[in-house]
Amino acid sequence: MQDHAPPPALTRLYKNNERLLIGAATLLVFLLAWEALAERGFIDPLFISSPTRVVLAGWGLVHDPDFWNDAAVSATEFCIGYGAAAAIAIPFGFAIGLSKRLQYLFGPFTDALNAVPRVTLLPLMIIWLGIGIWSKVAVVFLGALIPIAITTRSGVRTSETRFIRVARSFSASRVKLFTSVVLPGTVPFIFTGLKYGAGRALLGVVVGELYAATAGLGHMIAEAGNTFQADTMFFGVAIFMAAGLTVAAVLDRCERQFEKWRPDLRQAG
Amino acid sequence: MSPAVRFYLVNERLILGGVMLIVVLLAWEGLERGWWASLLEPMAGASAERLRLKPIFISSPTLVLQAAYRMFFVTGEMWRDLAWSALGYSLGLGCAIAAGIPLGLAAGWYRRLSYAVEPFLAALNATPQVAFLPLIVIWVGTGMGARVLIIFLLAVLPLAINAHAAVRTTDPRLIAVARSFGASEARLFCSIILPSSIPFLLAGLRLAVGRGMIGVVVGEIYGSAAGVGAMISQSGARFETDRVFVGVLTIVAAGLILVELIERIERHIELWRPPA
Repeated sequence: MQDHAPPPALTRLYKNNERLLIGAATLLVFLLAWEALAERGFIDPLFISSPTRVVLAGWGLVHDPDFWNDAAVSATEFCIGYGAAAAIAIPFGFAIGLSKRLQYLFGPFTDALNAVPRVTLLPLMIIWLGIGIWSKVAVVFLGALIPIAITTRSGVRTSETRFIRVARSFSASRVKLFTSVVLPGTVPFIFTGLKYGAGRALLGVVVGELYAATAGLGHMIAEAGNTFQADTMFFGVAIFMAAGLTVAAVLDRCERQFEKWRPDLRQAG
Repeated sequence: MSPAVRFYLVNERLILGGVMLIVVLLAWEGLERGWWASLLEPMAGASAERLRLKPIFISSPTLVLQAAYRMFFVTGEMWRDLAWSALGYSLGLGCAIAAGIPLGLAAGWYRRLSYAVEPFLAALNATPQVAFLPLIVIWVGTGMGARVLIIFLLAVLPLAINAHAAVRTTDPRLIAVARSFGASEARLFCSIILPSSIPFLLAGLRLAVGRGMIGVVVGEIYGSAAGVGAMISQSGARFETDRVFVGVLTIVAAGLILVELIERIERHIELWRPPA
């Protein structure tokens, strides 16, 4: 008989956290290599910066009221545009999903808008709304509107037909059918659309502010680019990265909240 | 049922879509020509004049058509811009496919590699990648290089992420069967992993095609001298709204054609797959 000795504690710890450890190690190696290359002069920090420089620039910026003003402008654009898009796109998606005729009426427009990046409309929005926050709000709104509406529509369309037939044969009213069959089945689709739309909304904020703006984090990055401040630019990119991760995490949490009341089908079966 | 009603029901989709399109075009034309202002004047008085909009503000379908005719067939400038944009797009998307799919497949196949690249992919995927554009511009200038790089950066993530997911979701029973018949790793990869990945890879390609379009437009409106995006941006700055609309509609057409193309490829590839 072979004696199976338990693996040493250290190996077990590694095995259990392999994913975390390898991920963190790679990230660390990447940052150290970047720092070392910049410090030794192999790459020019003027263009590529270095992690410590980015952190120092960030430290300077968070004590600068201008930075907070930029952040507030960007956040306002995102919140108004994305909020309005969600408020309009979800009911609109339900409408074109439920009514074939409405879909025929609006289909050509949603399909055409879906095939283009909505940021293409930015120069038009600037002619119509000026270079203040409203042209960005419009681009953010359009960017998020289309994916949310289209996923909501396909959610309604793919409602389980068997459930609908069962509800119908038990003579459920149209309202009842909607609230107890169609709506719950569509929620996961709506969240997919909301996540996708959030990405497009952030994109709208960045592009709108890079293109023509007087304030905002994208404007800050563009200004820093014109004056070759790579540190500030990397810090700006990092803020957008953090914003993207935060929005995704918040939406994931909301989705789980919505899933909670869902009866567990496996348990029932 | 009368023939007229039957005709309507058979072609309902086309008719309703067409009617809506015509209504919108007429409303638009009317805003520019002041039809609505004249129509409402007896009722609303002077405030109806607000519905008479300047052509530099709103343009109109006929003005846009005229501009399109001029730009495509008289001066031919649009073809040059289109060719320039298409070149950047194909280069960027080509590099993204060449790099993203192998990287994703490798990360799906080797668990440790996947752990190593995951943080980078996840972080980059959550970032609006266009925020890198000013950095790219100070690295490589505003020429073709910057555009290819931003298109690459936008398109590579969905390709890599989908390729990764494709390998991960391969039916484990198929792999077990192949292993028990002594298939080599290379054989396993070519005859099982790769074919079962194709739908995912195409889904990734579809996303990448859309992201690449964003790259073309954004790369060109932010500091570039040629291309459809640059034309839109310059015309916008000169308040030549008709030319802006021509550019936007050209991009709409290009987007629709690309989507159709991908769907054709998907259908074609599905043909040789044995029904599951």
